[in-house]
Amino acid sequence: MIKAQEIYKSFKGGAVQVLKGVSLEIADGDFAVILGASGSGKSTLMSVLSGLERPDSGTVVCGSQDITAMTDKQLTAFRRDKVGFIFQQYYLLSHLSVENNVKLGADLAGNKNYCEIIEQVGLKEKLKNKPAELSGGEQQRVCIARALAKKPEILFLDEPTGALDEKTGREVLDYISRLKRECGFTMIMVTHNENIAQMANTVIRMNSGEITEVYTNKTPKTAYEIGW
Amino acid sequence: MVVSFKDSLKLIGILVVSFCAVFVCTFFLNFYLDAVKIENLITEQTRALYDAQLATAKFTCAISGGFLAAIAVVMLVFYIKLYIDSHLKQIGILKAMGYSNGKIASRFWVFGFSVFLGTVLGFAAGFAAMPLIYKSLTIDGLPHIEIGFHIVLPIVLIALPTVVFSAISCGYAYFALSRPVSSMLRGELRLKPEKSKKTKADNKKRPFLVEMGFKTLGGKKSLAFFVAFACFCYSAMVQMGCSMEDLSTETMGIMILVIGVVLAIVSLFMALTSLIKANVKNIAIMRAFGYSMKECALSVLLCYVPFALIGFAMGTVYQFGLLSVMVNVVYKDVASVPDYGFNVPVFFITLASFIILYVAAMLFYTYKMSKISVKEVMAEN
Repeated sequence: MIKAQEIYKSFKGGAVQVLKGVSLEIADGDFAVILGASGSGKSTLMSVLSGLERPDSGTVVCGSQDITAMTDKQLTAFRRDKVGFIFQQYYLLSHLSVENNVKLGADLAGNKNYCEIIEQVGLKEKLKNKPAELSGGEQQRVCIARALAKKPEILFLDEPTGALDEKTGREVLDYISRLKRECGFTMIMVTHNENIAQMANTVIRMNSGEITEVYTNKTPKTAYEIGW
Repeated sequence: MVVSFKDSLKLIGILVVSFCAVFVCTFFLNFYLDAVKIENLITEQTRALYDAQLATAKFTCAISGGFLAAIAVVMLVFYIKLYIDSHLKQIGILKAMGYSNGKIASRFWVFGFSVFLGTVLGFAAGFAAMPLIYKSLTIDGLPHIEIGFHIVLPIVLIALPTVVFSAISCGYAYFALSRPVSSMLRGELRLKPEKSKKTKADNKKRPFLVEMGFKTLGGKKSLAFFVAFACFCYSAMVQMGCSMEDLSTETMGIMILVIGVVLAIVSLFMALTSLIKANVKNIAIMRAFGYSMKECALSVLLCYVPFALIGFAMGTVYQFGLLSVMVNVVYKDVASVPDYGFNVPVFFITLASFIILYVAAMLFYTYKMSKISVKEVMAEN
C-alpha cells in the first residue's frame, strides 16, 4: 500500500506551488493512473511517490516505510530495492548496448537472467545494438526490460507512450499490462490520455496540483479496446 | 548570434595555458634579446657561460612555449567541439533558416579572445616579474643585462597567437558544422549513428558498473588526454621546481612549481567538469534506479585513474630528462655546475601530494554529482 497524506510541493522558492495538499492511497498490486493535463502536477506527484523528489510537507508511506523521513542513502536503497521507472523520453544510455542498458537494472537486483526479459520484449536479435539503431517502440521496450530486470515491487511510468505512434503505443501498453498480470507488481502510470486511463483499476484525476476525482474501473479495458 | 564574448570567457583553461606560455616566453625571449646586445662584452673566460645562458633561454622558450601552445590548440578544438555539441539544436535552427556554415563558423573567431586575454595578461605579468627573473638568470661573472622593451615580442606573443587561434577556431568550427541540418535538429552528436561492433569484450559478462566505466572512457577519450596532461604538469613541474635548487635560484623553482600546480588544477577541473556535464543524464538515471553516489562516481571517474598515473610517470621521466640534458649538454662546458641526479625524496613527496589532490578532486566531483537533481534533468526534455 502506498499512502500519501497532505503532500505539498513547490518550486522556485515557493513561487510555483505544484502540489497543494494531495492525499491518496494505492493498494498493492493495483494499476493506478494519475490523469491530468500538462502542468497539473501529476509528474511531480509521481516523483514524490517514487522518492525522486522530497515534498515540502506531508508524508508518503510505502508499505511500512515512511519515505519522506528517509535519509538520501535510505531513499537510494528504497529506489534500488522497490522501484522501477519507465520514462516517456526513454533515458537510455546512448553509448551502451541494449544488453548493458538492461544490465543497469538487472545488476541492482542481482538478476542473472536478464537476457530472458530481453527475449520476452522481443529484442533478442538486438542485444548488441545501440539505442540509436532502434525504433522508438524498440527503445521503449528496452526501458521496460530495464525496469523489470530489477524486479520492482512498484513500477512508475511517466507517459510511456507519449513519444510513440498508435500502433506501437498499443503494443507497448498491451505488453506492460500483460507483464503486470504475470508479475503482480503495483503499477502507477502518469498520463494526460483519457483513453489510457480506461485500462487502469484506479484513476486519480488531477488539476492544478489537487486531486479532483478518484474512481475505480470495474472492468478495465485492454490496450486494443481503448480509443487513441 | 550563437557565440558571444561571454562564451569565450568561459574558456578559462585556454586563458590559463596562454597566460603561462606567454609569461614564460616573455621573460626568456626578452632576456635572450637583451643578452644578445651585450655579446661584444663577453670575454673568452665567460663565453661558455654566456652561450649556455642563451641556449637555456632558447631551449626553455621552445620547449615550454611550444608544448603549451600545442596543448592550447588541443584544448581549443576540444572546447569548440563541446560547444557545438551542446548547442546542436540552436545551430541546426540557424542552418535551417539559411545561414551558411561559413557565416556561422565566422562567429567562432571570438574564441580567440580568450587567447588574447591570456597572452596580454601573461605578457604583462612576464614584464612585471622581469627584474626578479633577470636577477635569477644572470650568473655571477657575466656583465649586467639591462631590461629593454622589444616591440617584436607583443607582436609574436600576443597578436600572432590571437590571430592564429581565431583562425583555428573558425576553421575547426566550419569543419564541425559540416553535417546535415536534420541530424543537428535531432541533436545527434555523431554524423553516423555508432554501429554496434561485436568485440571480444562484448562476450565477457562484465558487471554493469564496469561496463559503464569502460564505455564512458571509450566515449570521452580526449578527456583521458587532459587528465594525463594535468597529472603530467603536476608531476613534472613540482618535481622540477623542487629539484633545481642547486641549478637555479629559489625564485625560479617557486615559479615553475606554481605554474605546474595552476596548469594541473585548471586542466583537471576542465576535464572532470566536462566529464560530469557529458554524463549528467546517465548519472541521473542511475540514481533514479537506486545506484548510490559512490557507485555513480566510481563508474564515471575511476576509469581515468590509469591515465592520471601514466601522466604522472611521464612527467617524472620528462623532468628528469630535461634537467639531465640541461646539466649534461647545455652546461657541459661550464665549470662549477653541480651534479644532478634523480631526487628520490622529492619524487615521493610529489607522489603523496598528488594522490591527496587527486582523491580530493574525486571527492569534490562526487559531491557535485550528488547535487544533480534527477527531476530537473528529466524535466529538461
